[in-house]
Amino acid sequence: MKRSNEPIAWSLFGAGGMLLALIGPGLVFTTGFLLPFGEPVATWHAVDAFIAHPLGKLFLLAVIALPLYHTVHRLHHGLQELHVPLPHGLVALLCYGSATVLTIASASWLLVR
Amino acid sequence: MSDSIAIYVARYRPGEDDAPTEQRYDVPLSADLSVLEALNYIKDELDPTLSYRWSCRMAICGSCGVMIDGEPRLGCKTFLREFAGRGELHLRALDHFPVERDLVVDLEGFMGHLETVKPWMFHEAERPVAEGEYRQTPAELERYQQFSQCINCGLCYAACPQFGRDDSFLGPAALTLALRYNLDSRDEGSAERMPFLNADEGVWRCTFVGYCSEVCPKDVDPAAAVNRGKVASTINYGLNLLRLAGGKRDA
Amino acid sequence: MRRPWRPAQRWNWWQHNPAYRRYLLREATALPLFVYALVLVSGLYRYTQGQLAFTRWLEAMQSPGWLAFHALAAAACVLHAITWIELVPKLLVVPGISGPTIKRGHQVAALIGSAVIVGAALASWPLGGAGS
Repeated sequence: MKRSNEPIAWSLFGAGGMLLALIGPGLVFTTGFLLPFGEPVATWHAVDAFIAHPLGKLFLLAVIALPLYHTVHRLHHGLQELHVPLPHGLVALLCYGSATVLTIASASWLLVR
Repeated sequence: MSDSIAIYVARYRPGEDDAPTEQRYDVPLSADLSVLEALNYIKDELDPTLSYRWSCRMAICGSCGVMIDGEPRLGCKTFLREFAGRGELHLRALDHFPVERDLVVDLEGFMGHLETVKPWMFHEAERPVAEGEYRQTPAELERYQQFSQCINCGLCYAACPQFGRDDSFLGPAALTLALRYNLDSRDEGSAERMPFLNADEGVWRCTFVGYCSEVCPKDVDPAAAVNRGKVASTINYGLNLLRLAGGKRDA
Repeated sequence: MRRPWRPAQRWNWWQHNPAYRRYLLREATALPLFVYALVLVSGLYRYTQGQLAFTRWLEAMQSPGWLAFHALAAAACVLHAITWIELVPKLLVVPGISGPTIKRGHQVAALIGSAVIVGAALASWPLGGAGS
């Protein structure tokens, strides 16, 4: 039997799942309800100051990248389990590929600031 | 409690039937009658052609597993009184296994998976008998004891949709057995077993549905074992990367 | 004569067992949470375009559709957190600490974690931007 590379995907899935369990509900509430209804100028300055800080950048990258890898992992396995007639390799490439592209894009946007 | 219960059994007679069809049997109801005893009643009194497996009648041999109203359960550990209110219950052979006849399934593949993970003790050097037994502390026993309670009944395989989709998956019982030996302080065979855990057909086909643990009649919790196997396999994967980085051979 | 009957699994294998339906509901939390991660990426992208673009994005997030989506995502995330923490003691085995204690610890950590995020946000910017 061949060694699986699943440990990489599973570790990222696990980290994302733990992050979403520990702070996810508060995060969704914050960015979904508190951010849009904040006073616009003050909100901009708060977000801008947060992203200016290295730890702020790291936090944002974590809350974007890890949930991405977590969710695409579940979607990838779920599509297989529901017998969606798409090649396994293609589904894996689309799922993990999109998570990776979006992670790299987000990291570069955070670094530009 | 009414005096009888309708038991619908999915019959499959190879060569006669293309697929299983249900046949109704009316069995006298009593509070202490198990599903297995009901099957014995049907075989002795109503229809001698019915095929099913059984042996010990006390949830230790693991041979009377059937789907009872769609759930994998042991016939000897399930009582008719549970279904008295509805007045009927439906039996069929364990899901995900090839059905040989009526309630009898082919367990060859399952047994092969158990054997694959090398479920026996390995020692680097065999110790002379004169040196005495391999001793173990209660804490060391505690580490694997729960996982050693498996009776190989196959209910967890009937509960596992991943095994149902592709039976090359080693499955809950085999992977639990592998962990049971890997956690045993007397064993030195982890390296022999890890390649099977590390494979896609090993722990990585599992998606933690968790139903295997719900149906296990011995509370072995195979889902916990398989997922602890994932942790072990992930550590093994990392160590292998370090080995490769150090210029050593892929293991 | 041997002629084993072995049906292939069908796509709707999960329909007739509540345990399977609960499992797929747990997995389905990934769908709104994936979209939520995309929303965060879009917000970050609009941020890189400057204050005006970011404020436009915040206004878009005030629409009933996006509010409903975030309510769904929050519900999915709560379900995810409950089911995830339920399984933690099966993987995380610490000698001397019982499974229920590990679970309780994670539940408390999750409550504190989410409260800290919300509290920090409330301390960082004043509310009152609706309709602006």
